[in-house]
Amino acid sequence: MKTITKANMMDAIAILAQDAQVLVPMTVDGISKFSLWGSEGTLAFSAVNTLLPPKDSLFPQTEKMYSYQVENQTITSLDIHNEAKQQIIFGIRPCDMQSIQCMDDVFLTKTFVDDFYRVKREKLITVCIGCNKTAPTCFCESMGGSPAGHGAADIQLCDLGNSYSIVAQTAAGQAVVEKWQGLVRDEEGSVPEVSCTLKVDAQGLPAQLSKMFNHPIWQEVSRKCIGCGTCTYLCPTCYCFDIDVQNNGNEGYRFRCWDSCMFSDYARMAGGHDPRPSKNERIRNRFLHKLEYFNERYGKNLCVGCGRCLTKCPVHVDITLFIDKVKEVSSIESVQL
Amino acid sequence: MNEFTVKMREIARELLEKGEVHMIIGWEKGRFPQQSPPAFITSADQIDRLIWDEYCLAGTAKYLLDDKFEHRKVGLFARGCDSRAINRLVQDGQIDKEKLYIIGICCSGMKDSASNETALKCQECTHPNPVVFDLLIGEPVPESDKPERFKAVEELEKKSADEKYEYWTKQFSKCIRCYACRNICPACNCRECFVEQYRVGWQGKQNNLAENQVFGLTRAYHIGDRCIECGECARACPMDLPLMELNRKLIKDMNQLFGPYKASLDTEDTPPLGKYRLDDIEEFM
Repeated sequence: MKTITKANMMDAIAILAQDAQVLVPMTVDGISKFSLWGSEGTLAFSAVNTLLPPKDSLFPQTEKMYSYQVENQTITSLDIHNEAKQQIIFGIRPCDMQSIQCMDDVFLTKTFVDDFYRVKREKLITVCIGCNKTAPTCFCESMGGSPAGHGAADIQLCDLGNSYSIVAQTAAGQAVVEKWQGLVRDEEGSVPEVSCTLKVDAQGLPAQLSKMFNHPIWQEVSRKCIGCGTCTYLCPTCYCFDIDVQNNGNEGYRFRCWDSCMFSDYARMAGGHDPRPSKNERIRNRFLHKLEYFNERYGKNLCVGCGRCLTKCPVHVDITLFIDKVKEVSSIESVQL
Repeated sequence: MNEFTVKMREIARELLEKGEVHMIIGWEKGRFPQQSPPAFITSADQIDRLIWDEYCLAGTAKYLLDDKFEHRKVGLFARGCDSRAINRLVQDGQIDKEKLYIIGICCSGMKDSASNETALKCQECTHPNPVVFDLLIGEPVPESDKPERFKAVEELEKKSADEKYEYWTKQFSKCIRCYACRNICPACNCRECFVEQYRVGWQGKQNNLAENQVFGLTRAYHIGDRCIECGECARACPMDLPLMELNRKLIKDMNQLFGPYKASLDTEDTPPLGKYRLDDIEEFM
């Protein structure tokens, strides 16, 4: 198999950084996230997962859409900000790779193509590193993934201890590997097997949940929720946004920014009516979106099993415990039938 | 099973079976050993879920706002921090103390889920014993005024204005505006937060340093003399912003300007900024 030593890996990244923005897992001011190679911070390749997912490289938390200037009620300039630089996410984990596939479904398929996302996505190369250890909160296998790697990444690496194995999975990935000539060598080796310790049974969930819209379970699981946006803002797949304008005199810009279905103003309509007035309806919407609606529309879960929400929720609302509960409910109810 | 857990279940069972309360707010075990999230017990068959251990980090009092208009009594377990949070909500006119049954717990501190060391909020706690309760579990633990809880603020005060600005801009650049600090805070009990007054537009939705600072500073000032120092904001923050340093700066200034004050040790005393006194200092006039 083709491999590269860990020492040479730094040179390999430096080669890529010559003509692209390379994002690598780093700890910056105590927060682990994907940050520009060469910027201030400590490399965190050994961390199982970063606290912040790499989502914002494709879908920034705040994104300018267009700027304008107006004179005498006439538009004098209008700039649409849909240009993107070549980006490489180096060291993305398989769960986060799956989250990019989910976002691709949303922004690029089913009749509408979102240009702001598309330009960034077309200029993105992903180098996925398989996990050789998992955190106690990892459950990607139960959500249809695998800690070993992801087929959609341009390049798949596996940690062999002192080196990484390299498999180019796309033409773009092949082109990158060619740039590493002299650094890559052939070596015998085997990829270690890894498995998640946390397992949940997500089989048949969409069908079960489709019958549970009015079930008392929502009251039970939402009781402890405090209604903050931690789960949605740390989630690698949450893609909801709001559009607003920043106007200063006769110029300004329109922007979009992340929104959270946990917030009280999220579903509020003109006139003040809110179809999701309490945390009961909001939690239901979030869990059904992750585990039922997205399946019905795109054939996959919108939860990738990264475990960020259940680690960082201030009161430990745990989606895996919710799945267990749904399974309990359905087994009891089928017995009663 | 520890002694406190046994006692808690006994009391909860009696209260529920006698119909004294319709719900008990306590803690239960989550999936992982370091997680003991809040639990809401409404019938005797759920009582065995209740536990007490060193990971019961979240407060119980803020949940009382969810049942503000409930006519029946709610029972809740309350340590020093929770009991001051109850007083806070009563003082702010949010809840009716008559509709509570408070089971006090003398608390010897919790552990941080990630580091497994004593949680910062407990290291800095001055009132581990409940200040208000109907029933008490355990023997009162020793209390001290912990002047060292102002140490971080004193260090910050030594910095120049530019250095302070750099420190706080670095912190607020990390903020993702999830509002966990606000939502977990017992002093943040406005029916409508200024953040959500979208037609007025105090707070823009963009995530940038300016908007993040507007949020952080407005919140700090708004809870200024009402902060009960439970430390929940800093604990809940997923980005580890040292939010208690902001709150403690205000508390320290108020102690100097208006005399020593600790919020919500009882429900009688008015917070310094809400009180009008003829002998108040007027150095700015």
